[in-house]
Amino acid sequence: MAFLKVDNVAIKGIAACVPPSVEENRDIPFYSPEEAKQIVAATGIERRHIAGPDICVSDLCLRAAERLIAELGWEKESIDLLALCTQNPDYRNQPTSFLVHERLGLSESTMCLDFFHGCPGWVTSLSSVSSTLSASGLKRALLLVGDTVSKDQNQASRESRPLFGDGCTATALEFEPGAPAMMFNNGSMSDGGKALILTQGGYRHPYTQETLEIELARRAGALPEDQADDMDGMDVFSFAITKVPKAMKKLAAEYGIDVDSVDHLILHQANKLIVDAIAKRLKMPAEKVPLGLREYGNTTSASIPLTIVSECANDFRTGRQKSLVCGFGTGLSWGSAYFETNHIVVPDVIIYE
Amino acid sequence: MEMNEFIANFAEQFEDTDASEFKADTVFKELDEWSSLIALSVIAMVDEEYDVTLKGDDIRSSNTIEDLYNIVKSRA
Repeated sequence: MAFLKVDNVAIKGIAACVPPSVEENRDIPFYSPEEAKQIVAATGIERRHIAGPDICVSDLCLRAAERLIAELGWEKESIDLLALCTQNPDYRNQPTSFLVHERLGLSESTMCLDFFHGCPGWVTSLSSVSSTLSASGLKRALLLVGDTVSKDQNQASRESRPLFGDGCTATALEFEPGAPAMMFNNGSMSDGGKALILTQGGYRHPYTQETLEIELARRAGALPEDQADDMDGMDVFSFAITKVPKAMKKLAAEYGIDVDSVDHLILHQANKLIVDAIAKRLKMPAEKVPLGLREYGNTTSASIPLTIVSECANDFRTGRQKSLVCGFGTGLSWGSAYFETNHIVVPDVIIYE
Repeated sequence: MEMNEFIANFAEQFEDTDASEFKADTVFKELDEWSSLIALSVIAMVDEEYDVTLKGDDIRSSNTIEDLYNIVKSRA
């Protein structure tokens, strides 16, 4: 069982950056006004920030990282580990962390480490990065997490187009003797993986001229919806509402966490239907379950830290917070965590310029 | 579990469709109000009421409410 308890590591700050361009769900051309209203009500998503062709993951991560380091007052030489989790790397072979490392002007003695995870990515990489700090003698880490998932979207999909938005985040972690333990439970249900898969364009099925044309048409919204080939919404929904509450209950039972005492239950912002269903199964009152998705949609691995920044910044800046979080999706997999923070640095959401 | 109760729970996921339209042999995908969103609330209802996990293929392979009932019953 992948339960991890990480001692002596503290989250010191969280920042988020989103692209400036916004798509309003009520303006998506293939919905009638009545349908658009229903979609917004059910998903809770009114609009999403869209990167467009010129903005990549390293750009958004860089802005979030710069602001966070500046507000923390961290010397660049003091950052031992730069980790980055994305499924939309700028380039095919150079890990994206090195691009940010160069543009941030970090030292040659900084270690770069990349993760390839979808929606659970913030939690799974947080468990790895914090474990590394706890065990290795490294003192400071920056964890950059997010995607430009809209670039992969089938623009004709009535099911997925209103859901996904772009954004990246930076989380600062520090070795701190005596910090409250961070606790994790990560899990894998790989036999459900086909519910969230893009099959073409990897090394199993490299693009041919024919499949590349289909892919370009898919992204342009020129394919019929039944060729979407990227998400089985019903499978993802049933996975999320059944596995996630159980995973969080197991985490709480393993470490004796009093679920009623947490200040916030911060769930991956898949859509409001899923967030509400999970919160209900954990009997968590709505006021403890922030919804960042109204403005940003489902921002995959960035959604938990982005929601902390957009919805809970004041609480995290001004006091101690107990957080129960869960990311879930691609794999299929999930990562749930419990952690406490104490007066951390949380700049307002940065709009990329 | 019992068919009439299942039909009533199923019907509760709809807002505009008259209760009299829901019978064991109702082809639910032909109801005007049927949508992918209602499919999700049916999945949520079945999880909550019967502790059974329905997948997309279960919904896709079912035509009538009875088909769905039989799937749920076989796993309950």
